Amino acid sequence: MNLSNVFGLIWWLLAVPFCVGLLPLPLLKRRLRTPGVALVLGYILLFTILELVGIPVVLFNVYHGFTIFIKWFTPVILICAFGGVLVSILRVKKGYELNFQGAARWQKTMPEEKILLVLFLLLVGFQLYMAFTRASFDGDDAYYGAQALIAQQMDTLYRVNPYTGRSSPLDVRHVLALFPLWEAYIGSMSGVHVTILCHSIIPLALIVLTYVLYYQTGRILLKKNPRQLPMFMILIALWQMFGAVSIYTAETFFLTRTWQGKSFAGNFVIPAVLWLFLCLFEQDGEQQWSLNLKEGWKVRESGKGIVRHRQEEGNGQAGLWLVLSCVNLAGGASSSLAILLSCLMSMGFGFLFALYERKISILIKTGLCCVPGAAYVLLYLLLTHGILVF
Amino acid sequence: MYGIFMESFVILKLYTGLKLLLGLALLAWIVLLITERRRNVRILLVWAPVIIIALFLFPVSRKVFVAAGLDGETYYRVLWTIPMGVICCYGACRLFESRRKTGLVITSALIILCGSLVYQSSYITKAENLYHIPDTVIRICDRIRPENPQEQVSAVMPPELIHFVRQYDASIHMPYGREMLVDRWGYYNAVYEAMEKPEVVNMEELLAATRQEYCRYIVMTKEKATDRDPEECGLVLTAEIDGYRIYEDPVTAETVKGWQKYYEEEE
Repeated sequence: MNLSNVFGLIWWLLAVPFCVGLLPLPLLKRRLRTPGVALVLGYILLFTILELVGIPVVLFNVYHGFTIFIKWFTPVILICAFGGVLVSILRVKKGYELNFQGAARWQKTMPEEKILLVLFLLLVGFQLYMAFTRASFDGDDAYYGAQALIAQQMDTLYRVNPYTGRSSPLDVRHVLALFPLWEAYIGSMSGVHVTILCHSIIPLALIVLTYVLYYQTGRILLKKNPRQLPMFMILIALWQMFGAVSIYTAETFFLTRTWQGKSFAGNFVIPAVLWLFLCLFEQDGEQQWSLNLKEGWKVRESGKGIVRHRQEEGNGQAGLWLVLSCVNLAGGASSSLAILLSCLMSMGFGFLFALYERKISILIKTGLCCVPGAAYVLLYLLLTHGILVF
Repeated sequence: MYGIFMESFVILKLYTGLKLLLGLALLAWIVLLITERRRNVRILLVWAPVIIIALFLFPVSRKVFVAAGLDGETYYRVLWTIPMGVICCYGACRLFESRRKTGLVITSALIILCGSLVYQSSYITKAENLYHIPDTVIRICDRIRPENPQEQVSAVMPPELIHFVRQYDASIHMPYGREMLVDRWGYYNAVYEAMEKPEVVNMEELLAATRQEYCRYIVMTKEKATDRDPEECGLVLTAEIDGYRIYEDPVTAETVKGWQKYYEEEE
C-alpha cells in the first residue's frame, strides 16, 4: 500500500461519511450536533444510499454490474458529501454550528477522568492493533470475501458462485445485503485488494465507529453524571474484549468477524436503534431561564459561560425519526435478518413508548419509519419465493 | 410446543456459554430495575429486555421466524437486540455513582473473570500478511494464476486451503469449495468424492472426474496417498510449495487453450 491508497482510504472511510453525516445534522437537537454523531449519521446515510442505488443495479444488470454501480453510487454520495459541507457552512451563519462541547469540556475535565479516557483509548488502540496483526479464520469469508472480490475483479454482482467461480443464477438469498459490494467499492476506489481491505482496514474503521456510537449512547445515559462517561467506555471496551463467552455473541462477531455484514448488524445497526430511541424520548433536563429575550432566541450554558443563541426550530425529533427510517433500510446492507430485527425493535419500542405516554402518534411515526424496511422485506420474500425473477 | 421452547432454551444456554458474564448483566439489570427512574432508560434497558427474552422463548416466535424463510440456525441473533453490554456497564455506573474508582476496579475485574478473552480463540493466529490468509495459498495461487487476466484456470485444492483461494484471486476456479466441507449441507461433487473420500486416491477415477470439470491443476500434499504415481498417469509436477505438490494436467490444459483461442477469435 502506498500513500495514495492510504489517502483514498481516509477519504472514503472517514471524510466522505463524515461530510454526508453533516447533511441531516441541522434537523437534530444542538446537543446531538457533534462530530461523532455526524460520523454515525454519515454511515447510516451511506448504507441507505447503498441499498437504494445498489439493489436496482444488482437486480437489473447481469454484466458489468460493478462498473455501473460505481457510476451511479459515486456521484450520489459525493453530492451528499458536498451538500453536507455546504449546509455546514451556511449553518454557521445561522447559528447552527457543529457542537464541539466535548472537546471544550476536555480542558475542564478532572485529571482522573483524563487518565480514564486515555486508558479507554489504549484499550481501543489494543483492539485495533490486534485486528490489524491477527488473522481470524471464519468459514463464511469464503462466501462474503469472495463475493466482494468477484465484484472487484470480475465486475459481476451476485451471479457467480463464490465458492467455485461458476456462473450461477442470481443469489436471491444474499442479493439485498450489499455489504460486500460496499467493501468492493471502497477497495476499488482506494486501489486496495478487497481481502486486504476487509481483513486489515475495515475493522479499524468499524471498531472506531462502534465505539463512537457507544460514546453517544453513554452521553445520553450519563447525561446527569458525565464524569462517569470514561468509566462507562472502559467497561464497554472490556465487555467487548471479554464478551466472547460463546461463538454466538455480538461481541465475538465484533472482534473476530468485524468485516462481515452480520457483525455490522449486531454492533452498529442494532445499537443504533437503541441510541435513536434513547435520543427520541430523552427527557429534556435543560434548565428553564426566566430572561426576557427577543422572540426566537434563548440562552444556554457553554464553555464561555451563559450565552444567547437562536432558538431551534422544532424539538429536533423530526430528524431522529428520519434517521430511524434510514437505519431501518441501511440495516439491510448488513443482512436481511438485521432489517427484520431493527424494524421489530423499532415497532416494539414504539409500542412501549406509545403505551407509556398514551400517544398513538408514536406508534404511527414508528410504523412510518418501518415502511422502507417493510418494502425491503417484501422484496426479499418475493425474490426468495420465486415470485419475482431476475 | 414444549419441544420448541426447550430448543430455544438450549439456544439461550449455548449463547451464554454457561459463563457468568451474562449473570453480571442480570445483576446490573436488577440494579437498574431498582434505581433507574428515567422512563426512556427504564423502557429500553429494563422492560424491553424482559419482553425480548419472553418472546425469544415463546415457541410461536421461533415458528414464525422459520416460516418467514429465515435460517433457523440464526435464531440466536434475536438475542443481539438485548443490549447486555450497555445494561451491565450502565448498571455498574449507577451502582458505583459515588465510588467511581472502586466501581471501575471491581466491575473490570468481574468482567475479566466472568468473561472469555476473544483473542484466546483457536481461530485467531498471527497474520502472515495483509490479506490475513496463509502465505502458502498466495504462493500457490501466484504459481497457477493465468498470465492473461481474462483467462481463468480451475484447480483442485486440499480442504485446508479451499477457503482462502478465491479470497485471493477470483480468476482461479475450483470444482468444489467450502460447500463440500460442511457435511450438513449435503452436497455431492464427483471430484471431491474421488479426491477426499478414499484414503488412497484412485488416480484413474480422479482424472476422469477432474477432466470432466476441466481442472487444469491438482494440488495435493506430499503425504497424499495415491494408487499410482500422478506423473505416471500423465500429470506434470510443476512445482512443490510448502509441502504441496502442484500437478498440471496437459490434456485439460490443451482443451482449455482450445476454448480460449475460440473465444478470442469470436471477440
